[in-house]
Amino acid sequence: MKKLITTAASLGLLVGMALADVASDQKAFIKHFKTIFPSVEFADYTNGVYAVDQGSREQFEEILDGIPPYEEAVEKGGKEYLKFGLNKCNSLKNPAAARVKHPYFDEATQQVVTLESAIKKCYQQQTGKKLGFKKGKIARISAWISDQAAGQKINVKVESVGAKAAYEKGKIFFYAKRGQFNMSCADCHVYNAGKKVRADILSPALGHTTHLPMYRAKWAGMGTLHRRYAGCLKNMRAKPLKAQTEAFRNMEFFHQAMSNGLEITADRYRK
Amino acid sequence: MKKVLLTTLTLFVLTVQADSLDGSHNWNNGSSDSFKSAIKAAQTGYKANLAVNMAWRDTGKMIKKARKLHKAGKNAAAITLANKAHKQTINATAQTALAKTAGPRF
Repeated sequence: MKKLITTAASLGLLVGMALADVASDQKAFIKHFKTIFPSVEFADYTNGVYAVDQGSREQFEEILDGIPPYEEAVEKGGKEYLKFGLNKCNSLKNPAAARVKHPYFDEATQQVVTLESAIKKCYQQQTGKKLGFKKGKIARISAWISDQAAGQKINVKVESVGAKAAYEKGKIFFYAKRGQFNMSCADCHVYNAGKKVRADILSPALGHTTHLPMYRAKWAGMGTLHRRYAGCLKNMRAKPLKAQTEAFRNMEFFHQAMSNGLEITADRYRK
Repeated sequence: MKKVLLTTLTLFVLTVQADSLDGSHNWNNGSSDSFKSAIKAAQTGYKANLAVNMAWRDTGKMIKKARKLHKAGKNAAAITLANKAHKQTINATAQTALAKTAGPRF
């Protein structure tokens, strides 16, 4: 009995430690951004780079005032959601809840499940066909699902030992320098956020995941978070990983957790 | 006289030895064996980097191009490129070691 209590207490302590780590990580993360952008409110980070640069913000608002280029794609995504029977899968039948729930750590498979991986799985079950992970149909459907949760807050839970391990791996991936330029994700989007790289302003990592999938002018179309991850790695002259690989899913787990408490937005335009 | 004979003999031996080397053993062009070892080192390093998601973007392309150059008989260029690719894998391996302890600096 004594052993059982000790084991239970140890497990509880471990879980507690996991929760505490995420909270303290996020606290330090937010504090850093508060230091470099003292006038930006926490809630405004959903607007990404437009929260930190007034000129870009004005252009962004003009685009939103007109007909945003992603509108048609997102609408199409909604039709595709029904057409392919994605509403029949338990994981996606309530789209708003699905967006808020993902990414989560699945204890059965000991893997992080992202919204796009759930969409792909459901799509295959319903149609028997394969679906890409970076752009096109999956980005449109995922964007429409995310739109249904607009205004709700990101709430990634890192509760178990397995979840904590995945979170830690994702965190290490985010902060590790890689590629010929020897740079990490954090080098641009944490330490140098707001500074210019050629003509572009580096966006803050805080709030990144609130507006994805996004329409990117450079892509002239929609793309998922993992499409952007791969593009960033390529820019750093590191070999990009395939979308939805374990390493990317773990990083998304960490990346989204850092934006806990921020509102999911339907304003998904980026330069 | 003895010295002259000895020098002549040495020169003769060296000349015969040099002539006996086949065409592929051209010092200015890089040997096939040197290429094999360079490309093997690059390939091994690249595979190890790939396994831990730390490979560099262009290493694979460089290895491919080096093989092409070797096939075209441009051994010196092929060896240079294979060595460059190998150096990239060494740097990526060094990054891998540092990545294990990566974390925020604030």
